[in-house]
Amino acid sequence: MSDLAAPIGRGEALGSPGLGSELVKLSAFFLRSWRMSRRNMFTLFEIVFWPVVNLLSVGLLITFLRAEPGTVVFVLVGTFALSTVQVCQLDVAYAALFDMWSRSIKHQLVAPIRPWHLVLGSWLMGMLRGTAVFTLQALVAHWVFGVSVVAHGLAPAIALLVGLLLSAAAVGLLVCTLLMVFGLRAEMSAWSGVSLVLLLCGVYYPVSILPAPLQVVAAGVPLTHFLEAFRANLGYAPVFGTPLLRGYGLAVLYVVGGYALFAWAINRARRTGMLLKLSD
Amino acid sequence: MNRVTATESAVEVRDLHKTFRTGWPRPRLQPALRGVSFAVPRGAIFGVLGPNGAGKTTLLSILATLLVPDRGEARVLGLDVTRDAHRVRQRINLSSGSASFLWSLTAQEILDVAARSYGLAARVRRPRVTALLQQFELTAHAAVPYNELSTGLKQRLALAKAFVNDPELLILDEPTVGLDPDISVRIREQIAELRRSRRMTILLSTHYMREAEQLCDEVVFLRQGQILAGGDPDTLKREVLLGDRVELVVEGDGWRGLSSLPGVLACTSDGGRVRVVVDDARKRLPEIFRHLDERGVPVTDLTVTEPTLESVFIELAR
Repeated sequence: MSDLAAPIGRGEALGSPGLGSELVKLSAFFLRSWRMSRRNMFTLFEIVFWPVVNLLSVGLLITFLRAEPGTVVFVLVGTFALSTVQVCQLDVAYAALFDMWSRSIKHQLVAPIRPWHLVLGSWLMGMLRGTAVFTLQALVAHWVFGVSVVAHGLAPAIALLVGLLLSAAAVGLLVCTLLMVFGLRAEMSAWSGVSLVLLLCGVYYPVSILPAPLQVVAAGVPLTHFLEAFRANLGYAPVFGTPLLRGYGLAVLYVVGGYALFAWAINRARRTGMLLKLSD
Repeated sequence: MNRVTATESAVEVRDLHKTFRTGWPRPRLQPALRGVSFAVPRGAIFGVLGPNGAGKTTLLSILATLLVPDRGEARVLGLDVTRDAHRVRQRINLSSGSASFLWSLTAQEILDVAARSYGLAARVRRPRVTALLQQFELTAHAAVPYNELSTGLKQRLALAKAFVNDPELLILDEPTVGLDPDISVRIREQIAELRRSRRMTILLSTHYMREAEQLCDEVVFLRQGQILAGGDPDTLKREVLLGDRVELVVEGDGWRGLSSLPGVLACTSDGGRVRVVVDDARKRLPEIFRHLDERGVPVTDLTVTEPTLESVFIELAR
């Protein structure tokens, strides 16, 4: 082995504290996800194949059922929402999953990083991929079914997209927490977490058709309100008042709560030895 | 071996306890550390030895802030590993022989991500990553994805990653396990060089007694979560194995008085072959020869065997 590289100044080694250093740490996790994604051919399946297949099959079904144009948009927006949340939350879950699959989590967490570096860096990648899925589906829907998500202006579409990305962060944080507590036994939650909200938040139907007790539960899911807010522009009156406000309020609450849970789960893993079990 | 004269401790461990709870709903208690105490001087290479399940990884993980102890105190570079964990992490790093990284990332990307995790700005990070690739002879493999690297290259990469923040304390958990002998030798040389050139404190767990003997200023032997023995390797060898073995081929039975000489711990014979265990062969051999000479006992052959750390390990692991 060659001679040792000149030591770096210890102050530099620690990275001078401040915003710059925090952003560099954040970039580690964004770039990590970006590079992993770029080399994985199944990324194409995640952001192109499945969302488009899903959109086409649902779109063709409602065309076959001769639904009114408003209903077509109603249902297709649900499809956009589901695919966007699924892809984006997976990226947040990858914050924990990549390290668990590669059994490298202790090498990651021995570095002076905070849980938010991990989560936010991964979420940034999720936002990129989620936005790509949303845009792709919107283009395909316009081209195949003549449906435009921006027919009522760009603002409602952006408000929906931001709401979806926030909802995905909350779901992803919950998945990360479960993974940190139960290990890879909780891996399925990364793929099935969104399915639970599918039933509750009226992805393909208005929540008004749900039984009253389920409507109460639906009111606690931010996605319900984001969909209601968007669909209000199509003439579907929302079941719950001020949907955007409620949606953002709940989503922020869940993201903050989810983050606190994830931070707790990491500390718990340091106490129970789960971190070591999940490593080499 | 360089003796450490520093008085300040890089690591101080006092009455450390850790018990794992496994199973549900009735958790089974698995004590891993039971009252471990020791100190590591700054700039020393300190070996943690012991059989599988002795608690070595648990101990190193606590010092690396990856595990929280149940009881006791552990301070690294003057900082409490539980209360000041984040600050400890800035100043240490860890490498293990069985380390693993994200399969699709290249060697260069792994080092880059690791350097970013320490907040290193681009002007420091880029030359640092390049230097580490050169230093660990990974430049030719810089663009190879991790899962396509050989075992030896993966281990070198794991070591390179541990230097990314130029740590004051380096924790090496079985750093040469599974490596080819020539690479192991070079890594050992490099570890020794690091301590010499940077006064880096190194905490090393290993199964290879030769490695510990070659590198460590001090060692502790762990068994079932407790320290059985500790000290510098030479003293330990004498203490645990009760000294050096001197084998003499003699004529007659004039050797019988040897056991009464000072420093002679045991004396047995098998025909004309006499085995004497002494506390220090260099000190006691002249007296032994004088004793035999006075009694007219000719010595036709002589073998002196110093105990190895390996034999100490076997003795203690019994």
